[in-house]
Amino acid sequence: MIVGGCDVGSATGKAVIMKDSTIASYTIIPSTTKPEVTARVAMDEAIKRAGLSSLEDLQYIVGTGYGRLKVPFANENISEITCHARGAYWLLPTVRTVLDIGGQDCKAISLDDKGKVTDFVLNDKCAAGTGRFFEAMARVLDCGLEGLSSLSLQSKSPATITSQCSVFAESEVVTLVNEGVNLIDITAGLHNAVASRLNSMLRRIGIVEDVALSGGCAKNEGLVKALEEKLGVSVKRLPEDPQIVGAIGAALIAKERLSKQS
Amino acid sequence: MDKKEITQKELGLERYYQERDWFNFLCQMLAQDPSETSQLSKEITEITVARYDEIIRCAEEGKPFIMGYFCAAPEIYEAMDLPWYMIMATPFLAASAPYLLEDIDAAERMGLGTDWCTACRLTLYYIEAGLTPKPNALIALIHPCDAATMLHQGVYRNKRWRDVPIFAMDPPYFEDQRGIDYYARELKRMVAFLEKHTGRKLDIDRLREICQESNKQYELWLEYAQLRRAVPCPHGWAVGGPQCFAITQVFQAGRPRGTAWMRKLVDHTERMVKEKKGPVAKERIRYFWFDLLPFGWVFEFLPWLEEEWGAVMVMDMFGYTPYTLIDTRNEDTMLKGIAKRNLYESPMVRQARGIADYFASDITRVVKDYKIDCVIWPGHMGHKDGSASTGIMREVCRDLGVPYIHIGLDLFDKRYTTPEQCKDKISQFFTAMGLG
Amino acid sequence: MESSERKLTGVTIKEAASKGENKAEAKVKREAKAKSKPLQEFQEATQTLANPALQDWKKQGGKVIGCYCSYVPEEVITAAGFVPFRMRGTGSTSTELADACLSSINCSFSRHSLDMGLRGEYSFLDGVVWVNSCDHVRRIYDHWKRKIVTPYLHFLSLPKKTTDVQVGWYRDEITTFKESLEKHFGTPITEERLWEAIRLHNETRRLQRQLYELRKRKSPPITGAETLAVMVAGSAMPREHYNQLLKKLLDELGRAYGHANYRARLMLIGGILDDPAYIEVIESQGGLVVTDSLCYGSRIMWKDVNEKASDAITALARYYIAERPHCPRMFDRQLDRSAFVMDMIRQFKVDGVISERLMFCDNWTGEAFMVGEDLKEKGIPYIRLDREYILTGVGQLRTRIQAFLETMER
Repeated sequence: MIVGGCDVGSATGKAVIMKDSTIASYTIIPSTTKPEVTARVAMDEAIKRAGLSSLEDLQYIVGTGYGRLKVPFANENISEITCHARGAYWLLPTVRTVLDIGGQDCKAISLDDKGKVTDFVLNDKCAAGTGRFFEAMARVLDCGLEGLSSLSLQSKSPATITSQCSVFAESEVVTLVNEGVNLIDITAGLHNAVASRLNSMLRRIGIVEDVALSGGCAKNEGLVKALEEKLGVSVKRLPEDPQIVGAIGAALIAKERLSKQS
Repeated sequence: MDKKEITQKELGLERYYQERDWFNFLCQMLAQDPSETSQLSKEITEITVARYDEIIRCAEEGKPFIMGYFCAAPEIYEAMDLPWYMIMATPFLAASAPYLLEDIDAAERMGLGTDWCTACRLTLYYIEAGLTPKPNALIALIHPCDAATMLHQGVYRNKRWRDVPIFAMDPPYFEDQRGIDYYARELKRMVAFLEKHTGRKLDIDRLREICQESNKQYELWLEYAQLRRAVPCPHGWAVGGPQCFAITQVFQAGRPRGTAWMRKLVDHTERMVKEKKGPVAKERIRYFWFDLLPFGWVFEFLPWLEEEWGAVMVMDMFGYTPYTLIDTRNEDTMLKGIAKRNLYESPMVRQARGIADYFASDITRVVKDYKIDCVIWPGHMGHKDGSASTGIMREVCRDLGVPYIHIGLDLFDKRYTTPEQCKDKISQFFTAMGLG
Repeated sequence: MESSERKLTGVTIKEAASKGENKAEAKVKREAKAKSKPLQEFQEATQTLANPALQDWKKQGGKVIGCYCSYVPEEVITAAGFVPFRMRGTGSTSTELADACLSSINCSFSRHSLDMGLRGEYSFLDGVVWVNSCDHVRRIYDHWKRKIVTPYLHFLSLPKKTTDVQVGWYRDEITTFKESLEKHFGTPITEERLWEAIRLHNETRRLQRQLYELRKRKSPPITGAETLAVMVAGSAMPREHYNQLLKKLLDELGRAYGHANYRARLMLIGGILDDPAYIEVIESQGGLVVTDSLCYGSRIMWKDVNEKASDAITALARYYIAERPHCPRMFDRQLDRSAFVMDMIRQFKVDGVISERLMFCDNWTGEAFMVGEDLKEKGIPYIRLDREYILTGVGQLRTRIQAFLETMER
């Protein structure tokens, strides 16, 4: 069976191709302004990498993510909640809480021991604590996303950042810079502030271990560390790039649909 | 856990023990300061501890006690010799306790939501979490706001509390004799309800005694309120208003010890006024704080107002005294007098229950009587109807020529609008208005 | 009479959901519009304040009295010879004027509705009537009376309990209301006219219940969005005209095939939802809303005013306070309300429940939690939604509903 999953997010587009039960290839590309274009480009690249010749080689394709309705070649679309849960559970069957921190939104998902979604909470009303937020901060501090993460890990006394809103947090950060606070402590403070917000969101559905992160921001070690401290639990690392968890889930569902058909 | 701890937990007394111990500690601290205001505060603290003790003892010994409200006829509870408490007390009295924010978060986790009044939300949480002792009977408050009605529905739904008999007086919306008579009839039903479920009886002569004593307390309070008109104001946020409310409506309604405390307060205040003394060296701003004090973070904000700006809370919502004395001739006049007090004179209930006119007229009264320099509507996130009246309050202040600020905060959760943010806002306001 | 593949709208709901919304949803809308004249008129009535039928009424010299909240006894207004009109904020694009009166922690319904009043959009009203329904809406009165010139304003004191004592209180309130209408407009409201009005409004309720009965079927011939349009229209136009139209629609629906391929049967509970587009978004994911407990839904028509009672005003008071399915502001009826929801689930074979509430609504936060506890106990799938009065965040709503349906494995 050859299937595909396509996760069209606001910041990045991801495509995963699975051959039976293994990942044949995957891509992560920056999103264009047109979701259908993003989907096409990501999938074409994944097809190439998998050594396939065309879209027709894929027997079933599931779209997910913010732009899921605009994936023209998808057989169906499934919410990113279900896809992230499915993908995370496949990668780590002991996972019971998934925290997805994406480009523009974040979500917390509870799973039971069979990987079924039991509860979820979305924060899609504001960008605080998402990829956009970190990009904006990296710009303000002129340190790059990598720098933002690695600097924060060195801090022994993080600054306190109280603003709930990313716009206000930005001005708070500028003030701190002008006051001469160390960049290391500012970045750590930012991660702590985000971790607090994510903690609040997670608590609404309850934190049950194992906890795993998905989404681009999961690659930010500084954030992971801040989260572990805030939550008081260790975050389990997933064996694949956390950014493709949604697309993996979509591909797995594609596989399921295909099995049912035959 | 030892046996005592288990019992505490089963009876829902954990928090009560914690709070009682905290106030005891406070007592001891205050005892070390011989100043008159500290001694007055110490006595109120002792009175608070005594109430906790009473309820704890009743719960542990299986003696009857009830949950009621300051605006649901404490005079009657006292006359029936019923130890009583408020299920909503914990969020207020324990607001400076270290577990408050955790409790708020736990309430959210329970699915109780976040944009209704923190006090009501916490109260429901404490019940759901088994942190409130079960009374023999509960007088529910279903006014002045939606949150109160919601809270008490949650209470009677709770599986553990379903066997607690519950009664609520239905409030009329407008202010007239018909409303008073209606509510007085509801009070009569409340009495019948309490008699049925506690075994205590209401003796009319005893009610008369309580009401007469209570009237004395209100007369003293009125005297005290007059004294606060002085320039400089003899007391700020820390003494007086809310304390008088606590004495007359919560802890010592109609009890002589309460009257004695009020007397001491008045005597002391007369001296302060004679000596032109106040809470700050130089009083620069006299403000009207039109709400409860921000219990969750009061020490991080109100003292700063005094120190930084010489701003003195000359009057607050709970210190305002529009009370009329109860006519103690007979049962009918007393119930009607109590009804009037409950509906139209108890703070917050008075302004929020019906139409918005009191938001305007109380401001007018207070600004004129107390020579107020600015009006602060704190804008607690739970006061939906109050904040819905902000336009009216702003206009009244404009007509009076007095600056008005609507802050927007949570009296209990300092994370909603932090003390720092409040300080910024207020400083900008004072500066912009040329105050202080 | 059951279903086949041909439906009222020409494409299965499931298809619409899975293929990507644009093409299919547009087709759904087109077909819906082309279909039924009564339905069209009802849908149009939800998109404006004064619909053509109401405008005609006014041109003929008829009077219209606005009502905030379904607890206002509309029959009294009808008995006076006027048309009762439920107040909305339809078409409002801003809340600037209202924001100077209310605050940012007041619900968007109150802000939009007051804003429209302040902008003069409600100048076609001859009067407005309130009850103290909730902390937000009751304050509209305080601002309206100070700022908007309206010939007649009235406010009824609505109890918060539902015993006989409160029925008696509300009876007096309704009498006062009737007398004030009579006095102001010079129209006598006799016992006879009250009974006529009661019968007319009861007819509406019967017809609306018939509509809901159709939705009990395995293939309901009408969607939840369409139903809401029918219900909201009932609050916005002359009653006789509405009843006639609704009879026509019922006739049509009696001959129509039903929606067969839906993913799940849903029940929607909540407060003042008057925008069918909200339910359209929900249904775009393949679920079909088959019943509800809403302010413009089952609660206002599930029971009739007792036509056998001895006096009309007592009958009205009893109906509104004690007999009609209750709203969360009534203190002593929460268990009944949960039971009502359970009963609906049973009667309509509901698979999952959605509760919606406006941000800052205390009443529905509490109810969503309390009913939710009962639903959880019975293992009934449930999701709680927050919304704003003017529909926004369509993509986000879709995601949540889609995920909800997926967790129900549908």
